Amino acid sequence: MNLSIPERSEYLKILSDSDQKIMGVLPALYPRELLWAFDLHAAEIWDPPGDILHANAHLQTTICPVVKKSLEFILKEPDVINTGYLFPHTCDSLQNLGTQVKDLIGVSLPVYTFYNPKGSFNNTTTKYYREILQNFQSMLEVSYGTLDSEKLQAACLLGHRIDSRLMDIQEARQTDRLLLGNQEYFQLMRAQEYLLPKDYMSLLEQVEILDQPSEGAKARILVSGILPPSPQILDFLDKLGVSIVADDLLAGSRRLPKFPMDPPDSPLDYLTDRFFILPPCSTRGGDLDERLHQLNKRSKSSKAQGVLFDLVKFCEPELFDHRLLVKTLREQKIPVLTLETELDSHLSGQDKTRIEAFIELLFEMVPR
Amino acid sequence: MSVRAELKYKIMKDYGAPAIMALQDIKKRKKRPVPEAFGPPLESNKRLKEILSRHYFLSRYVSGVKKVAWVTSGAPVELLRAFDFYTIYPENHSALVGAKKQGGDYCGIAEGSGFSQDICSYARIDLGHMLSGKTPAGKLPKPDLLFCSNNICQTVLYWYKAIAHELNIPLIHFDAPFVTTEQTEADVNYMAQQLQDMIPILERVSGRVFYLEIFEEILKRSMETSKTWGAILDAMKAQPAPMTIFDAFGHLAPIVSLRGLPVAQDYYHILMDEVDNRVTQGIGAISDEKYRLIWDNIAIWYKVRFLATFFAERKMNFVTATYTNAWAETTGHLNVKDPWKSMAKTYGQIILNNNLKHRLGLMTKMIKTYAVDGMVMHSTRSCKPYSVGQFDLRKAITADLDLPAVILDADIADERVWSEQQIHTRLEAFCETLEGS
Repeated sequence: MNLSIPERSEYLKILSDSDQKIMGVLPALYPRELLWAFDLHAAEIWDPPGDILHANAHLQTTICPVVKKSLEFILKEPDVINTGYLFPHTCDSLQNLGTQVKDLIGVSLPVYTFYNPKGSFNNTTTKYYREILQNFQSMLEVSYGTLDSEKLQAACLLGHRIDSRLMDIQEARQTDRLLLGNQEYFQLMRAQEYLLPKDYMSLLEQVEILDQPSEGAKARILVSGILPPSPQILDFLDKLGVSIVADDLLAGSRRLPKFPMDPPDSPLDYLTDRFFILPPCSTRGGDLDERLHQLNKRSKSSKAQGVLFDLVKFCEPELFDHRLLVKTLREQKIPVLTLETELDSHLSGQDKTRIEAFIELLFEMVPR
Repeated sequence: MSVRAELKYKIMKDYGAPAIMALQDIKKRKKRPVPEAFGPPLESNKRLKEILSRHYFLSRYVSGVKKVAWVTSGAPVELLRAFDFYTIYPENHSALVGAKKQGGDYCGIAEGSGFSQDICSYARIDLGHMLSGKTPAGKLPKPDLLFCSNNICQTVLYWYKAIAHELNIPLIHFDAPFVTTEQTEADVNYMAQQLQDMIPILERVSGRVFYLEIFEEILKRSMETSKTWGAILDAMKAQPAPMTIFDAFGHLAPIVSLRGLPVAQDYYHILMDEVDNRVTQGIGAISDEKYRLIWDNIAIWYKVRFLATFFAERKMNFVTATYTNAWAETTGHLNVKDPWKSMAKTYGQIILNNNLKHRLGLMTKMIKTYAVDGMVMHSTRSCKPYSVGQFDLRKAITADLDLPAVILDADIADERVWSEQQIHTRLEAFCETLEGS
């Protein structure tokens, strides 16, 4: 299947030239529908291309490349970001980067923050999250005028449609009813980071879901981590006949509710509910048993034979969870491979060999 | 509660601990000579060692007598005190391991079991201890409960989650929203409600009932103790300063790990008296204080003696630090009449949970009020909330105040990352600049 996915920088340039208000949003969780309701387009900044040069003057060598690359991008003050930056509260490094950019470095655009509660959740957390949403709305109203409640309702409906379609596509991926290679599949998933929601919805609608499973891949794996593997790795896996049938990625399925939601009735209630039914995630301090359970569930439903952990160097939230996840999966005799990335485009010979050895092991296995 | 265990604990408390302390005292009578660069050592050091040794010693006998909680340094421990938990501070224990230059060994144990060497060394040391049982403190009691707050970092939540899973014990997490501009009413209410939500869980785990009057008494004591600690730090404004910040790194232990207990309150009165006395008599911590410095970030525990001597020999004294100040800065918000919200304000606004504009303002104020001539920043790979932003803080401070500054790349407790040559070169260059300024 050949999907026509616009290239990120060109697409954002066209939007910016057409006076679309664009906000640069850092990883990972934020109420996108609220931004949409103010006609603000969220362009997510995860791993902008290019070398890290100027950011090194502001950040230590032991800071993760997602944070460094984001800062490098911000320091360039790119024209496509014309409204401001939003720093959701994700980890210690991004937390500090938000205040560093706002209070010490200084950029010409406004800097906004959004707190995501951490730990185990209960009624107190739910009430608080709703208040955070209301405060965030009020903050945006200062700059963009009173919120049109109908627009928010429409934004939530569109968000709900996108979620539903993504769930269908994920389910189809797990059951071999999607004619997309790894590269194309993740291009599709990542297009939500920069396409206008209506454009993204149109793109998702173009995806053909087969009624019956196609010929299965030679091996099936699940990927876990922050971002999808690099295009080089995805391409390599495509060539080896390996399909990534499911994911546990922060930039992927950890941002999609665990189960289908009813269409929104009250927008803020809907956004609150949505936050609390996201899958367990290291960055929210989610329960380890619950994450293991979710990983096992996805692994079984997709018949994944092995798990590839693609970790971002110095990413503490993932590094802590990783040990237990690997230990438990190995106890369950599920093959595991861990790669560490600095988000560069290079696929080292050593990693290539390790991937090949891992895949050979899977080829020898009887599918689960 | 077992009668036998309680009896054993009581005997150890009343007779065992004093006997051990007396024995230690005899052993240590042969004192190490004090280098010339230093003034007379603090007499309170002896009492501090007694208190800490006793606390760790008695912890060996606490099982079956009191419930044990492992707690993070920024957590509102006063609530746990109301249930008579015996508290152990893994960060404090990791610092102890680090100070003994054993951090690398403990980290190695955690790394060998699958934890990454890129995670916080306090966490790796603690996990290494948990997995091996090794400790320089003899033996630490297993926790019945874990209590953490992300007001110092998110790391503690990931770390305590790993322990909770390994030991299959409950974890209470106090979620403290980061203060990006100022605390909102919603933030305060959220934290206040969380504290109240904890009561039934704490009652269940401890088997004790919550009494507001007891809690208020503890809160009052904690408040008074923090205030005294703040006054001790204030006394370092005197010239010469009666302590070095390296002394304060040690004397910090009770305010961190015994906060809310009478022993901490009493101890700081003793230290306060001694410090006041030294100020009156003009006794300095170093023999000839010529330059006054500020320290930023957690101590480099395995190099405290080296750094103290290095600077003292150059007539340089650290008179203030953002780190030691953290347990005094926000306690002014505590109010016994409004315990829950005042605790939310106190614990929610500590330096590491506050924005960098606040930190810049605080450091600028400290530099001015303590008459500081130079700044040493420890950029530690273990602590992101403390280290991310330091490069720009340095830039802002040196520009605004024309203050010489140096950044040392090191780690809090993993001595394997210490680069002697690089640090020495930087320190020498810094001292030259300071002496020439």
